[in-house]
Amino acid sequence: MNITRDITNIEPHVFFSFLGLDIADSTIFIFGILIFMIITGFLIRKYFSVLPSKLQVAIEVAFEASHDLIGNIINDEEKTKKAFPVIGAIMLYILIANVVGLLPGVEQLSFGGHGILRTPTSDFNTTFGLALGAVVIINLIAIKEKGIISYLGQFFPFHLIWKGFKKGIGAGCIAVIEFFIGLLDIIGEVVKVVSLSLRLFGNMYAGQILMVIMFGFIAFVVPALWLAMSLFVGVLQAIVFAALVASYYMLATTTTEVSEETQH
Amino acid sequence: MDAEAAALIGKGLATVSMFGSGIGEGYLIGKALEAMGRNPDMSGTIFTRMIIGVALAESTAIYALVAFFLI
Repeated sequence: MNITRDITNIEPHVFFSFLGLDIADSTIFIFGILIFMIITGFLIRKYFSVLPSKLQVAIEVAFEASHDLIGNIINDEEKTKKAFPVIGAIMLYILIANVVGLLPGVEQLSFGGHGILRTPTSDFNTTFGLALGAVVIINLIAIKEKGIISYLGQFFPFHLIWKGFKKGIGAGCIAVIEFFIGLLDIIGEVVKVVSLSLRLFGNMYAGQILMVIMFGFIAFVVPALWLAMSLFVGVLQAIVFAALVASYYMLATTTTEVSEETQH
Repeated sequence: MDAEAAALIGKGLATVSMFGSGIGEGYLIGKALEAMGRNPDMSGTIFTRMIIGVALAESTAIYALVAFFLI
């Protein structure tokens, strides 16, 4: 076995360019999972009935479990109803994407020396897109709920300095420190995107690399154990991503009331 | 020292930061087990939250692993 040839690169291998867009090895799965989810959505609308079959009961159990998980984090019925479609869709997409690369034989189909299928979340472009999209949506929801002046007032809290100096010089100096903490929140948003995307990418990509290396050590029973571990990690990372997005959503839509209470 | 030797030393140094995540996770699991001992009814909830917490505490070790593969 030749390790340097079998290890997938961090960069996706581009096969050809089509109308200015690059078709790479992870493209088929990225769009395939999307189309699969849309078609399944339509089939569910059409075929689910009040008297459920066993498949419908199984899907409903999974739906209830994930709804309760996200609902416990957000802690508010209406907000969960608004946010759960987006967060649940992200969780389902990442769940399918993490697991589909583990099906036997999938990574072996190749065309001209390079595999044509690859786990979509082991490509940093996918995870970065998901993380950036989630954080941008959360900020847009925060702008819509609070209004743009109050939203900008979180990052540039001039009103805190005004109120602080009204109370006295000591409180005013503390308010200046709080102003700089508010400025650091901008970096906090960037860090949210980077940490979400890197966590998912690192888990999936490193899992693939370690699988190749493990085949180099012992090719008989141990890779099966690592495959089970990869399956577990794939499901867990989907749950963690969704739980984090839900908690960022909760923080973005509740902070105003908490800080107003602590001001008085 | 050529660039290749320095890169390999850098790779080795990047993996040193992973031992902090081991300590953090051990502490977290210990606290979760203690809470489960005090309140056995909530064992299921505590275990689920602990798994999510472990995945979050693992993330700095994963950043170090990504840096290892990038160098």
